[in-house]
Amino acid sequence: MAVLRGLGRRIGERLLASLPALLGVVVFTFLLMRVLPGDPAVFFSSGPNAGQAEIDAVRRDLGLDRPIPEQLLRYLRDVGTGNLGRSLTTGQTVVQDLTERLPASLELTLCALVLALGLALPLGIMAAVRPGSIVDHAVRMVCTLGVCVPTFVSGLLLIYVFYVQLGVAPDPTGRIDIFAAAPPDITGFMLIDFALVGDMEGWRAAASQLILPALTMALFVLAPLARMTRASMLAVLGSDFIRTARSIGLSRWRVIAVYALRNAILPVLTMIGIVFSTMLGANVLVEKVFSWPGIGSYALDALLASDYAPVQGFVLLMAAVFVMVNLLIDVLYGIADPRVSVA
Amino acid sequence: MIRDEVPPTRATPGVAVMNFNRRQGLKGALGAAVGASIAGIAAPQEAQAQTRAETLRHVMGGTVNSLDPTSPGSTRESYGVAMSIYDRLASFGRKQIDGNWVFDLDNVRGELAEKIDRSADGRTLTFHLRPDATWHDGTPVTAEDIKWSLDRAVLARSLAPSQLSSGSLTKAEQFSIAGPRTVEVKLDESDRLALANLCVPFAIMVNSTLAKKHATADDPWAQAWMKENTAASGAYMVESNRPGQQLILKRNDAWKGGAGGELPFFRRVILQTVPEAATRTNLMERGDADLSVDLASSDVPALQQRGKVKVVSIPATNAFNAIVFNTQMPPFDNVKVRQAIAAALPYDDIFQAAQFNRGRALFGAQWTEAPSSAFPQAMPLNLDLDRARRLLAEAGHPDGFATTFSFATSYAPFAEPMGALVKEALAKIGIEVTIQKMPDSQMATMITEKRVPFFTDSGTAWLPAPDYFFRIYFTRNQRWNFSSWNNPEVNALVQTARFETDPAKYDAACMRMITLLGDQVPQIMLWQANTDAVMAKDVTNYTYWFHRQVDYRDLKRG
Repeated sequence: MAVLRGLGRRIGERLLASLPALLGVVVFTFLLMRVLPGDPAVFFSSGPNAGQAEIDAVRRDLGLDRPIPEQLLRYLRDVGTGNLGRSLTTGQTVVQDLTERLPASLELTLCALVLALGLALPLGIMAAVRPGSIVDHAVRMVCTLGVCVPTFVSGLLLIYVFYVQLGVAPDPTGRIDIFAAAPPDITGFMLIDFALVGDMEGWRAAASQLILPALTMALFVLAPLARMTRASMLAVLGSDFIRTARSIGLSRWRVIAVYALRNAILPVLTMIGIVFSTMLGANVLVEKVFSWPGIGSYALDALLASDYAPVQGFVLLMAAVFVMVNLLIDVLYGIADPRVSVA
Repeated sequence: MIRDEVPPTRATPGVAVMNFNRRQGLKGALGAAVGASIAGIAAPQEAQAQTRAETLRHVMGGTVNSLDPTSPGSTRESYGVAMSIYDRLASFGRKQIDGNWVFDLDNVRGELAEKIDRSADGRTLTFHLRPDATWHDGTPVTAEDIKWSLDRAVLARSLAPSQLSSGSLTKAEQFSIAGPRTVEVKLDESDRLALANLCVPFAIMVNSTLAKKHATADDPWAQAWMKENTAASGAYMVESNRPGQQLILKRNDAWKGGAGGELPFFRRVILQTVPEAATRTNLMERGDADLSVDLASSDVPALQQRGKVKVVSIPATNAFNAIVFNTQMPPFDNVKVRQAIAAALPYDDIFQAAQFNRGRALFGAQWTEAPSSAFPQAMPLNLDLDRARRLLAEAGHPDGFATTFSFATSYAPFAEPMGALVKEALAKIGIEVTIQKMPDSQMATMITEKRVPFFTDSGTAWLPAPDYFFRIYFTRNQRWNFSSWNNPEVNALVQTARFETDPAKYDAACMRMITLLGDQVPQIMLWQANTDAVMAKDVTNYTYWFHRQVDYRDLKRG
């Protein structure tokens, strides 16, 4: 109990300590957006007959006619009250857009991560157990290929093979077949929602939409995870306690899976945290290719259109996610290696 | 609010559709036991086939960001969908050119009005409403609704007033109720484009009783509410809307506004945003999507060749691509410099490399006086290097100068080859060109602020009357006057042509403006690009509309 309480307190402290960083991110993005060339008022009042009056009207609506310090204070006040502004691109509030799109991105990223780990850990361990062998070289080649091929190439290739040629994959347009009914919006995670209402056919349909984009993303992050597993396992396998474990006659499997892996997992965990955050925000290309309604493509569209509010909201969200993921990874450290504490 | 609406449970046939598609999804699950489910698929497939045939799936790169086309910032896709959701008082007809349907500016029919009278002096338009016209909620369309809608179009702070002012529609006092189903529009002068302006997407007719319920003191025209809701009478109603992802329309079976009172063919239209052009191409080729008008133009010839889809290529009759000079900025303020560059460009090569010759050329004519009042028409632009060198020397730049040629990122597919050829061609007469590619929003800002010396851009006129083209693209200090051209004679002609009732005088004025454009070359007209509408082979009746979006009311299958 005391341990849990201590953990809770430390988590609270960590969250509190991340607030200045979040504030910094908000202010920085706010200023950056205004320094970038491109005027949203001009871009969005480009109706066939729009003149200066329309541009000024949009500018007034957006509050861009006020001095920048005033705009910043207003924005901070809005953020404090949970209002991230309105997207000109979709016409919705940014909060609405993000709450709709974050689950889509999270679902895809988590599935891709699970898929990647499911491949990377065995591959990395296999390569580490027999360094320099054929297996090791094969794993190295797979990893090199995965990281060399840009995601939009592998995505389009997968679409071409499984959708265009073989016709086994559903059309690559979003999270669910366009003609099928969506599940009730409970968690926003389609797989969970379908499972909750017990609609297994819907669940399979959603899963089949998910599999190609998840695979595309997984292939790309396979390399860092597998290579990190291999390096870390190699170091651990050469250490004294493994030799001891072997010498007292523990089974080979037990030595690798229990003693070596648990000690080798710390750097892999760090890598997972980094990979996850990167995948969530930066997989714009996969989202574009598969028409996935995620936050990455949303932010990119907004950025290209000089649509300030969504970009600022997105960066804030990503910063918050990054803080949470780091915290989670630290907690996992503690579980993997009791010598590490969350503080 | 429609946004979060889960697609509603449909009547029995719809449920069959759902089930079938889940099975289809199951088939799609990689490695699922396909064989086992085949028996189960067979029966619902027929039900599906029937409903699928009456459903149109349109995939597009953009999004519909507002259901009210007049709200500032609404996208072009919003204009297109507004044509199907809302009615206007009148509508352009359409005509066939080379076997393709194209809108016809000169042939206006009633939409919500069954009859339109124009007084002898051309200053009064009388609209007699259809007696059987109803709003989507079933209540009848009244003259009060029309008056409110027209007032909204000229008074609300939206995109509509500036458009409607191009037809001399500016004040609420111009609109009056002349009877229970009659509305009068009075004009100070007989503007040639007054009626045409009531056919554009901004002139929507709104169910005022419904809209007023959602109006507030700050927002008397219910603009906030109408961005996400509709108060319309048009051929389609919104079934569900997920902005940025998809919009589903269902047919309004009580609609009477079609030509001959005919209902549209498709019962359901799905507008789906698929950002990646390659994915749209795949969907079309696999037969999963029915229509796309924004595929990558480099993909279209290959698609056509493989023959799995139908490609309808129509030159955009109301658009142009051009190379623009900033005529207020040296050295392009010197007409001889502009003429020199115009004589130095290899037009045929540019057309081939940048546009694959897919379109109608606007260069290569030989006249010195415009032969007709049609616009855009082929201009006297021809490659003549000797003339170019001579003109450049006369302009005081015998050794040339250095400049930049700019374009927006979204234009890159054709602007990059164009830029390379321009650079190469102008090097021959000593002009050193640096190519500059800018993000769209930055480019838009720079053009509006008139800070780009030499660039490529394109324009569309909703109402392609020659004087309207000139008014928008060649006069006044505003964004669309790309070249900032300020020619006193053109400025004066534009003002008189607008109210000219004598066709011969009107034509003469337009020809004079075109002649001046050909001589002064504030911008080099290049071509009218083809719009390539790619559709399933059984989809017919596609019409090219002035707003360049799809009008779902025209389309048929089979």
